[in-house]
Amino acid sequence: MASVRLENLRKEFGSVVAVKELNLHFPDKKFAAILGPSGCGKTTTMNMIAGLETPTRGSIYFDDRRMNDVPPGKRDVGFVFQNYAIFTHMTVAENIGFGLKIRGVDEATIRREVGQIAELLELTDMLNVNAGRLSVNDMQKVALGRSMIVKPRIFLLDEPFSNLDAAFRAYMRGELKRIQREIGQTMIYVTHDQVEAMSMADNIAVMDFGVLQQFGTPDEIYNQPVNLFVANFIGSPNMNFIPCYFRSEDGKGYLVQKRGNARILLDDRRRQLLEQHPGNQDLIWGARPEHLTLHSEPSRSEYLRATVRFLEPLGPKTVVHLELGDQDTIKVIAHPSYREKAGTVQWIEINPKYLHVFDAKTGFAIR
Amino acid sequence: MDSNVAIPAVQEEQVKPAARLRRRRFLDMSDVRFFTISLTAPAQYVLLFIIMFPLLAEVYISLTAWTPTRGGDWTQAYRFWDWGRNYVEVFRDLAFWQALGRTFLIAGVAVSLEFLLGLGIAFLFLDEFPGKRVFYALMLVPMMIVPAVAGYVFWLFFQSNGPLNAIISLLIGQPFTLTWLANDVTAMIAVIVAEVWEWTPLMFLIMLSGLVGLPEDQMRAATMLGATFWQKFRYLMLPMLKPIIIIALVIRGMEAVKIFDMVYLMTQGGPAQATETISIYMYKIAFQQVRWSYAAAAAMTILVIMTILASYALRPLQAPQREVA
Repeated sequence: MASVRLENLRKEFGSVVAVKELNLHFPDKKFAAILGPSGCGKTTTMNMIAGLETPTRGSIYFDDRRMNDVPPGKRDVGFVFQNYAIFTHMTVAENIGFGLKIRGVDEATIRREVGQIAELLELTDMLNVNAGRLSVNDMQKVALGRSMIVKPRIFLLDEPFSNLDAAFRAYMRGELKRIQREIGQTMIYVTHDQVEAMSMADNIAVMDFGVLQQFGTPDEIYNQPVNLFVANFIGSPNMNFIPCYFRSEDGKGYLVQKRGNARILLDDRRRQLLEQHPGNQDLIWGARPEHLTLHSEPSRSEYLRATVRFLEPLGPKTVVHLELGDQDTIKVIAHPSYREKAGTVQWIEINPKYLHVFDAKTGFAIR
Repeated sequence: MDSNVAIPAVQEEQVKPAARLRRRRFLDMSDVRFFTISLTAPAQYVLLFIIMFPLLAEVYISLTAWTPTRGGDWTQAYRFWDWGRNYVEVFRDLAFWQALGRTFLIAGVAVSLEFLLGLGIAFLFLDEFPGKRVFYALMLVPMMIVPAVAGYVFWLFFQSNGPLNAIISLLIGQPFTLTWLANDVTAMIAVIVAEVWEWTPLMFLIMLSGLVGLPEDQMRAATMLGATFWQKFRYLMLPMLKPIIIIALVIRGMEAVKIFDMVYLMTQGGPAQATETISIYMYKIAFQQVRWSYAAAAAMTILVIMTILASYALRPLQAPQREVA
């Protein structure tokens, strides 16, 4: 097993910059995810780690060894492709054993090791089936097994579950995490699905337009997003963003809504912070729908007045869309039994602990 | 239960209209069928005539001893009916079997070389390199040249005072005057070279289209597992290209066995019979010796041999389908 370190990694395709000066350190024996929308450079980053793409600039280290000039086959990296890339003209057993066969391992050993892998992945009954006739679910298992059998130091997975059906995807998420823990495998997982990243990874690197936005644990990414992009990308439904400005009155600090008059009273630490912030007249406050509470009476003066516009009943929860001030909409997650009519006035409670403030110009969080 | 109840109800309701419908449709259908058949009939007859008539005529003539010099036209050939003595003679005819052997030798060597060259060049064209389009266009030129013209060009090329000997003289620094087309072995080599030159581009095109169509991610997966180029070639590309390779070899093989124009222009089958292919042999029988019925019998024999060979060669392509069924 090995750690992976990227130093000022850059990749250009003609005039397009796919990855921009990326600095990242994926720790040994951990499960890391690279998360971002399509076209954010995550797959390119993965391909450079694997050696399938040559970086324009920068270095890739496995532990302390620079890998830039090591050919892909010699990097000891397992790669699982989004479309499985199963050898369709071979049987399942031949697929899984391929890595050993080309290393010149004898038949008996191959058969034994293939048997073990097949057992781990519950493929034992299918060993002699032609791999081209498998279901996508089983194909993905075969692809995993084919990479696992050579015991790579680093395991790269490029959106491996995106073509699977929902139930099997959830099952494979659990299985993959279990396997990773059991063998202490360094894994790097590329995905655009935040649920996959949040549920499996020890660390998440969020990327956008080839630039690393944030690298941290799922908790950090969720609770302390560094900028508007991360705050918006993580969470479903996504975070509410309300343009506002800072105002100080009688020694108290407020965030005042721009398109309306909703005011949020700030604690002392935040007040001081924002008082000194040069761009404090152009801010955005953010709050996740799950951190807001609806009340029918303004029992406390800090509650914000809003009008219900429509409901989205999702079963285990109901997403309430409300109008705050003139044009701002705000989403709140309410109890599944919540059934207020459109036009009803509601009062929103914001937990200051979960309030995020961003500079509207730079997009960075102020904290 | 619901469906069990529902089905008889529906049937009962529709029995009478259905019967009426069927009777009417039968009439309609027969009208339509007659109409469609009458429309396609001319084309069908023409096709049948084009394919079947010459074949049957050939079989008919081959069973007689008729030739134009013995009088009468081919319809009167029955007057010289001799119950297939021609076939017995063909089987005993050493020149026939030697010509066939030479043809298979030329076809075998030439098609193998075309395949290896075509595949090799196709690999080169997978990568980008400066002037790729120009080279691509140049690669296709031989295929566009009429074989007779190519034959004549190669006849000039291999003359004792031709360009090839001039180049060799230049390289070795002394006059070189081998008469390529007058020597048994070198004449054979010259014919094969011409054939390879003419038809390698076709192989190249077929192989390139096969290589371009290979699934890239499977190749990458093999690369990641540490496979070398040769391992990828042997375990992935070759099995995946197998159907294309077989078809290309069969098409080219059948074409190469028919080789005539190049050989006729370069050597006329000579020196002596050194490059006499089966087509040249048949040409000589039919048009120089004017033994038409014998030529017909020889042609039938070749047709049978080629049909058997082709069906064996194509057998691997049918295997996967049988497996599925």
